[in-house]
Amino acid sequence: MPHTAEIKEIIDESPDTRTFRLRFRDADTADRFEFKAGQFAEYSAFGDGESTFCIASSPTQKDYIECSFKVYGKVTQSLRRLNKGDTIGIRGPYGNWFPLEEFKGKNLLFIAGGIGIAPVRCVINNVLDLRDEFKDITIIYGARSVSDLIYKQEIKEWKARRDIKTVITVDPGGETASWDGEVGFVPAVLEKNAPESENTVVILCGPPVMIKFTMPVLTGLGFKDEFVYTTLENRMKCGLGKCGRCNIGNVYVCKDGPVFTYAEIKKLPQEFNNFKFQIANYKLQIAFLKG
Amino acid sequence: MKELIKHARELLENGEVAAVIGYRQVSAKRTKPVIITDPEETSALVFNEYCLNNLAVYLTKARIKLLCKKNDKVLKLAITAKPCDVHSIVALIQENQIDRDTIHIISFNCHGVAKDFGFDFNGDNLASKCITCETHKPLYYDALFGEVKETPQASDTALARIKEIESMPHNERFEFFKSEFDKCIKCYACRAVCPLCYCQRCITDKTIPCWIETSSHQRGNFAWNVIRAFHLSGRCTGCGECDRACPADIPLSLINRKMSMEAKNLFSFVSGRSLETPTLVGSYNEKDNNELFM
Amino acid sequence: MTQRSIQMDEKIISRVDLLNICQDVIEKGNTLLTPGVADYSVVKDVSNLNLDASALPSKISYKSYVFPRTEPVLYYKRSKNDVQLIDVNIDSKKIVILGAKPCDANSLNIMKHLFNWDYSDEFFNMRAKNFIVIGLMCSHFDEYCFCTSVGSSPVSEKGSDIFLIPLDENNYAMKIITDKGKEFITPYSGYLKSGDENRSKRITENVKQPDVAFDSSEVYKWLGENFESPKWEGVGNLCLSCAQCAFVCPVCHCFDITDEDYSYTEGRRMKNWDGCQFGNFTLHASGHNPRDIQSKRYRQRVNHKFRYYVNKFGEILCTGCGRCSRGCPVSVDIKEIVSNCKNDQKELR
Repeated sequence: MPHTAEIKEIIDESPDTRTFRLRFRDADTADRFEFKAGQFAEYSAFGDGESTFCIASSPTQKDYIECSFKVYGKVTQSLRRLNKGDTIGIRGPYGNWFPLEEFKGKNLLFIAGGIGIAPVRCVINNVLDLRDEFKDITIIYGARSVSDLIYKQEIKEWKARRDIKTVITVDPGGETASWDGEVGFVPAVLEKNAPESENTVVILCGPPVMIKFTMPVLTGLGFKDEFVYTTLENRMKCGLGKCGRCNIGNVYVCKDGPVFTYAEIKKLPQEFNNFKFQIANYKLQIAFLKG
Repeated sequence: MKELIKHARELLENGEVAAVIGYRQVSAKRTKPVIITDPEETSALVFNEYCLNNLAVYLTKARIKLLCKKNDKVLKLAITAKPCDVHSIVALIQENQIDRDTIHIISFNCHGVAKDFGFDFNGDNLASKCITCETHKPLYYDALFGEVKETPQASDTALARIKEIESMPHNERFEFFKSEFDKCIKCYACRAVCPLCYCQRCITDKTIPCWIETSSHQRGNFAWNVIRAFHLSGRCTGCGECDRACPADIPLSLINRKMSMEAKNLFSFVSGRSLETPTLVGSYNEKDNNELFM
Repeated sequence: MTQRSIQMDEKIISRVDLLNICQDVIEKGNTLLTPGVADYSVVKDVSNLNLDASALPSKISYKSYVFPRTEPVLYYKRSKNDVQLIDVNIDSKKIVILGAKPCDANSLNIMKHLFNWDYSDEFFNMRAKNFIVIGLMCSHFDEYCFCTSVGSSPVSEKGSDIFLIPLDENNYAMKIITDKGKEFITPYSGYLKSGDENRSKRITENVKQPDVAFDSSEVYKWLGENFESPKWEGVGNLCLSCAQCAFVCPVCHCFDITDEDYSYTEGRRMKNWDGCQFGNFTLHASGHNPRDIQSKRYRQRVNHKFRYYVNKFGEILCTGCGRCSRGCPVSVDIKEIVSNCKNDQKELR
């Protein structure tokens, strides 16, 4: 049974991505709702169904929770039609989380692409609230174009902070005249910046094709698979390990995931490694840019 | 049989075709489709009264088309088809789904098939479509095998049933279909086996807007079965595969046959019989029956 | 959900008395199901009831009575800004299945692991609790049956609350297997006569059983080592991607959740059967599809049944009833496929 929540605020992050700031209708639920960074929830647009997104706000933020979604399918289109003050349903939190306790005392490297910044942002804000407990923090975030970058306000704040290093990049051709960040795909930007791999944990989220090309770079820089954390985003319906959709090997991603280390992922049947679609897309994009 | 195997083998060995889609025997009264690319395997090919599948369904599958691409060359695809399956192939050609030049049709003189696997082949167990069949020799083919034999006699019970349903008062008829569609479990086996259900994206798979509810309750089941009947009107060639595939035993071929009868009565059109006549829904003739226009 | 086995003497019941019990079950307002050719159907009149141990399994299993092909999980009412949610009352009528095939009888026991790990599915549990399974020995098999290969048999009592063995035309030996079965039969103990275990044993020992077609532990091992095997392509080419196999299966349990409006302001959320062979089962909204081609989907089906479920819950997700193969429009035979996986055949098909 989902809980109902009111849309307190709508933030248009990019032409196709929106963030909802939500507060549970029931005060009791709001008090009791606790989650950890990396967990996800099922959000309902009643009449059109449920969709799965991570909780994008930090667990340290108690007044509200936030979710960000890109408009793709039926539910996200329906969610987009909702206005401030409307009601949506939330079930959750589900799944596992990033083991922040284990990250303490280590360097953190955040790598995100596209909408993949949403779960990463949750961890970043959580970590920034406990800044002293971690060593160096580096954020590398890439999007297709400047207008596709989301959390623009927060990026500004991150950039302004001296205790973290923030690198923002856009795909070639996606820059504007006034763009002051990097231009290039995430793996290339990562290689250029070559962060320290010793005592560092990587939190990596993005489209499968980005992950495919980023992993060899990370390995080249000396990062170990068991310290690279990522989230698998399979199609899910129930969130309870029943409906069978997210099943890969012995794992139900919605229960045993979505957070896995790359070492764990390597042990699974390589089923999500279906990059044909993305690579074709990527190639098309590049071909298009080359003119 | 020897001729069929020899022919198929030659086709593959000479590189004329990339694959042969045919039947192989699995037990005394059952065959199953097989897709052969290795000439050595052609010895498994058979043709008999238990070759029930309409293999034309494979012709539009992307993965089968992919088999035909060899070193930048597109080879032909050989298919063993009963004369009635050739109707489906013709319909597919007419609807521009496949090219006549890319298909090598191996057909047979046919005297009917059993209604399902495991049944003895005789008048009582003759497939319903064979009872009224007029094409014992295929209309189009590239190779023809088999001898002409007598088809067992049987009475056309399906037609009697259609007449019976037609004569029902409409509320009774509605109740009849309600009870039949109630059994539907939405496995879409009818769609999967249908050679003419080749849409890349079926209307039931569309979610925005969701035309057909995926739930298999009354409304969803009616929506699906009625829409399918409409989408096949004037296109269905009457192979009866949906009927055979249905695990819930819904008499789908009655519906499809009724719609074909309407097409024949109104427009003198029978699907899949000629490569020259344009499709029913794809053509307009001034002499067409205009009463149906609103 | 625990079903403790109890020891109880074997009884004998006559056909007439068995029908009397059935009559009473119906009169008390409970549902009585018996297997037919196509489906397990609700019995209204016991007089023409035919308990046939030599019938083949019906085309569709009875899982829909525990895990319906479609059911509402919640209702909602929309007003201007708000949404009101209304719980669903689970219909918990007692259901008695008379003459369940041994291969069907065990299905709930296999599925209950899935519906109860971590989160308990109330809908499933509520119905399963009210289920009385009266199994009947099976004396006929065809080329598709393979219960003996997955650890069951035509005389297996697994999953039955009460098990019947036909002694002659008019009498059955009755074994009471579980507490639930005992509770059910106690009011009718007047109908029962004491039986002779040796007599029923002679019958069960002489029942013809399908040969063991494959060693499931070897299949388990092969699947683990051959995920990327090119052999999957053969069956991928043949299979037409319907869900007939999943929907007639007594233990396939994947489902979909979808919303349905029935007026502008009201609607319900439905839980519907879904099948892993459908192309859009794993299709993401972005267009990415982890199992984009049929061979991968078929591989998932076999792996889920013979490997993943074993790893997770210790049981094979298959009862060997052979329904999926018997009904497959293109005769893809799961028994043939798993038996041949170790052979040096080029393709599985």
